[in-house]
Amino acid sequence: MRKIEKETVNFIVNGRKYQPTIEPWVTLAEVLRDYLDLTGTKVSCGVGECASCTVLVDGNPTLSCSTLAITVRDKNILTIEGLAKDGLHPIQKAFVDCGAIQCGFCTPGMILTTKALLNENPHPTREEVKRFLAGNLCRCTGYVKIIDAVMAAAEAMSKGGK
Amino acid sequence: MSQLVKLSGFFPRVLKPFEYFEPETIGEATQILSRYGDRAKLLAGGVDLVPKLRRRLLIPEYVVSLQWIPGLDYIKSNGDGLKFGPLTLLRSLELSPLIQRDYLALYEAVYQLASTQVKTTGTAVGNLCVATPASDIAVALFALRAQLRIAGPSSERTIPIEDFFLGVGQTALQSGEMVAEVLVPRPAAGTGQAFLKLVRTAADIAKVNVAVALTLADGICQEARVALGSVASTTIRAGKAEEMLKGKAIDQRIIEEAAAAAAEETRTITDIRSTAEYRRETSRVLVKRATGKALERAKS
Amino acid sequence: MGQEFAFVGKRLAQADTPIKATGAARYAVDIKLPGMLVGKVLRSPYPHARIKRIDKSKAEKLPGVEAVITLEDTPKILYASSFRDLPMAPSGSLQRADEYILADKARYVGDAVAAVAAVNERVAEEALQAIKVEYEELPFVTHPRDAIKPGAPKLHDYAENNIAARVSYPLAEGDVEKGFQESDVIAEESFSVTKQSSGHMETQTTIGSVDPTGKVTCYSPCQLSFPLRRGLAKIFDLPEGMINVVNPFVGGSFGARLSVYNEPIAVALAMKTHSPVKIEYSMEENFTCVHTRTGDEYTVKMGFKKDGTLHAMQIKILTWAGAYIGRAQLAGGIMLFWGMGHYRCPNKAGECEVVYCNTTPSAAMRGYGNPEVMWGVEQVMDMAAEKLGMDPLELRRKNIKKVGEPSNLRLPIESTYLEDCIKAGAESIGWQEKWGRKKEGLKRRGVGVATMMHCSGAYPLLIEHSGAIVKFNEDGSINLIVNPGSPGTHIWGTLSQIAVEELGIYPEDAHIVTGETDKTLFDLGSHASRSTFVTGSAVLMAAREARGELLEWAGRMLGVSPDELEVKDRRVYIKADPDKGLSVSEVVRSAMWDMKGEAMNIAGKSSFAPTPTSVSPPTAAYFAEVEVDTETGEVKVLKLITAVDCGTAINPMTVEGQCEGGIQQGIGYALTEDFFVNKETGVLESDNFTTYKMPGSLDMPETEIIIINKPDPKGPFGAKGVAEPGLVGIAPAIANAIYDAVGVRITDLPITPEKVLKALKEKQS
Repeated sequence: MRKIEKETVNFIVNGRKYQPTIEPWVTLAEVLRDYLDLTGTKVSCGVGECASCTVLVDGNPTLSCSTLAITVRDKNILTIEGLAKDGLHPIQKAFVDCGAIQCGFCTPGMILTTKALLNENPHPTREEVKRFLAGNLCRCTGYVKIIDAVMAAAEAMSKGGK
Repeated sequence: MSQLVKLSGFFPRVLKPFEYFEPETIGEATQILSRYGDRAKLLAGGVDLVPKLRRRLLIPEYVVSLQWIPGLDYIKSNGDGLKFGPLTLLRSLELSPLIQRDYLALYEAVYQLASTQVKTTGTAVGNLCVATPASDIAVALFALRAQLRIAGPSSERTIPIEDFFLGVGQTALQSGEMVAEVLVPRPAAGTGQAFLKLVRTAADIAKVNVAVALTLADGICQEARVALGSVASTTIRAGKAEEMLKGKAIDQRIIEEAAAAAAEETRTITDIRSTAEYRRETSRVLVKRATGKALERAKS
Repeated sequence: MGQEFAFVGKRLAQADTPIKATGAARYAVDIKLPGMLVGKVLRSPYPHARIKRIDKSKAEKLPGVEAVITLEDTPKILYASSFRDLPMAPSGSLQRADEYILADKARYVGDAVAAVAAVNERVAEEALQAIKVEYEELPFVTHPRDAIKPGAPKLHDYAENNIAARVSYPLAEGDVEKGFQESDVIAEESFSVTKQSSGHMETQTTIGSVDPTGKVTCYSPCQLSFPLRRGLAKIFDLPEGMINVVNPFVGGSFGARLSVYNEPIAVALAMKTHSPVKIEYSMEENFTCVHTRTGDEYTVKMGFKKDGTLHAMQIKILTWAGAYIGRAQLAGGIMLFWGMGHYRCPNKAGECEVVYCNTTPSAAMRGYGNPEVMWGVEQVMDMAAEKLGMDPLELRRKNIKKVGEPSNLRLPIESTYLEDCIKAGAESIGWQEKWGRKKEGLKRRGVGVATMMHCSGAYPLLIEHSGAIVKFNEDGSINLIVNPGSPGTHIWGTLSQIAVEELGIYPEDAHIVTGETDKTLFDLGSHASRSTFVTGSAVLMAAREARGELLEWAGRMLGVSPDELEVKDRRVYIKADPDKGLSVSEVVRSAMWDMKGEAMNIAGKSSFAPTPTSVSPPTAAYFAEVEVDTETGEVKVLKLITAVDCGTAINPMTVEGQCEGGIQQGIGYALTEDFFVNKETGVLESDNFTTYKMPGSLDMPETEIIIINKPDPKGPFGAKGVAEPGLVGIAPAIANAIYDAVGVRITDLPITPEKVLKALKEKQS
């Protein structure tokens, strides 16, 4: 059995290796935002209710505000900054083109959740999109154009995007 | 209680320091739990625990992660039934074709939990151990006659899920004990199940939730399980309603009577989500509808 | 229908969204300055308490704590969190200043009592716990109804019976009592509305910073940068020029950020520590301390002639201000304008009492009084229609105001297409086939309507001054220098489309410079659906001036008079000989890099302020179809249609986005969002998204936005405001649809299944 007080750990974030020294009570969101300065991950409710802090841990949509960073050491973490190597990912482009972004605070979480959805189900119906995004709150758009964007992204990606 | 009042004057944004352990066997985990008792908390998916740590709704001195204990994340089945472990994710249950087919009440309960992220990081056992009377999972597992295998520092025991909940936030776990496995017996042939709930928004905790399982043979109800959540300090079974259904060729009149009896068995309260009166009244409606649906499914 | 435009009216993507999509956009929560400290506020756990003594000595000694401040360490200047203690309107109407930076007495659970600056959040939290406050608990009252009773605990010395202000309707007309006597049919009902939380996703976060010369920079997500600058100047006794208010990307505003919150505390801490100090609220703190929409209890009485002509109208309101006046006086008072403004009526009067009680203050949220009062007015219209035996659409058509009549703010209406809205929405929902039909079965469907008139800026209640600068770069692009920030309204895109349309260049040629009071001309701020109309008009004026200079220089180059020239597709050419011309870039480059000593900047600068004949109100009609479960009282909204008259839609995608967002907030307001205070403790229990339920993707119905798209004669390219209208009539349309479905009328928000079921049972018995 291990007891961890403070440890230098490996995180592979967006393919890049980081080695911050963290304490066990630090959340993944804090590590990303405060230690690594990857502020694209947004913390809103801090109770896992809005999903704006969603990142992908080994591809799995994960609430970074409700995850102790120590528990995801050595894992592959994808944040919004790492989605496109260059320019915009088709999902990002669809969100821009469809007017799915207003204030933009929920957007990183929405886009990463969409990525997880399309990995699992490349051709979702609108109902399936609504259900997969059901935990991602948005206060600006009424979700209409977000769902449009996910459908457009699915279409674009099936035509040879990423 | 609001954290502001509890802490006499501020809203925390970060977690308070604690000691953190990573046991590698269930034995190690139960030992450490028995050493620290109430001062220690188990960490599985973290979706309930971590926000409560931030909000100081729980202030444990020790946090014990189950993550490094091998073999806790599984779904197994054989002729006797279904088993899953303490780290089995809600999402894994939802995507299991076996559960979709044979344990429909459980599937419907997980499916209707709206937040994908809660399902992809939260565990079913974690959901039970929170011991909220509103748990959708608990209601479904009540109807499915689930049993919990509980591991302690020196022994194990298996209890029916009805014996697990003692009150809001209170379980039958003794110092040093943890839930090691959930066992759900295979529903008998001719069983129909249904789960229904009422919510404020789709992604909300239930105001009232109901699961019903009926087993028919030659059109006669052999077994009936009627479970309700959010209508008492724990998930409950409506025993009188079950008795009224058993041994009968169920028709609409019997359903109505059983539903009314079930509502009589609730001990509802008024809170931010609903009123005592509404919960009692809609308990009847949901039991009626879920029983009707389960009956239909049992017949088909 | 009007002229052909190159870019106005096109569905263009927003230039500020790619950086939001990639996570590169920096919001206040993301900004880190060198040496920055964390600020945190100690708040009252009691709803009402005298602060007898504060011992901060232990906290000050903690390692990592740089400052601990209480009221005594601040300028101790009273201010109004709305800035409306400072003159801003021609009428000179002022609101009372009733707040200090830190409270002199705790007036609600969450009132700011002291603050710390420390090296990090954990140390700051430790420091707050080390501050010992001796409170003397006082009796408290959490609802305005109880607060006005004789003997109720008094919050502010000056306010007898906790009445902070009394507003009587300044546009009263005729003789209302006589009007009711002359009426054939009277409909009257009492209503109440909840204090809706704005629910923005980025919590309130501010950074205060002071440089060695004493210049203050305040990073704030506020909607009113220039009024904030003026407010800070008053509180800290500084010249305005010594303060720069920086408005970064903002994670949602919806009116909540019209008020000042932690800005003065952050500046006070920065002054004390000589370091930048950032105060970031937790979401619970955000819900508890950020101002909400006003809660109100009111009666609406309307008298009609037999033929359906509205003859008399009266509204009496009790407005829930909370612990401080916030913007409640304005938001409550303006309900009278909205409520009695969009139907023609010869006899009308009304009054509003604004009442203190021990809760979070009330201020603005999207619609600013209009959703609150339309909730009642539009239901009373339906009640009257029933009594008169008329179709609710017919009754509305008969009474809505036409061009030339005075608007809700008593300005002559220059354009209104509310009739078109009603017609288009009714056709789309299938009103003829669906409304008023007999309903049967367990689940019953119904349709309902509501209409409204809003504003494009708050003139003449406020000065609505905005400035803009357009300056050309030598590549033919422009910098568009304006103040409105980017809270998600797509205003930058809208203003860019206006500028490039006038200048004959392309949308990608517009580079926005914004967000700092030091860099931009004065702009009152983003409120009251004003920016498209007011700032847009300023942009159009500045663009016109820049265009004039461009043509002047091009004329010199081409040897013709400027009025012989046209500019289009990035090219200046002679109208009579279109092949002869120059690129915009060639012209600007020539002017900027002129070697003959005549070089000039090609630019325009403007100030726009509306006059009594230049502001037209947007109007809208809302149609809801619902299904009511008669056994559970659950209301499922099946479809919502908003038909909106916002003049020319500069960008229809943006207009749709605003209206769709309004539907989400409107459905929340109608059905699930409730400001829930525990009466025993005074604690706000609806303090996060777990307990304050906003609609998610699965809760949204099918939506349709119908844009009438007919130009207003005065708006920039014919545009009127549209940011708020989307929300205004959603709740009453749903309520009217419920009545159509099951014959019960819910008068207090939100329409919970509990209330519907109770009403259904009462109706049966």
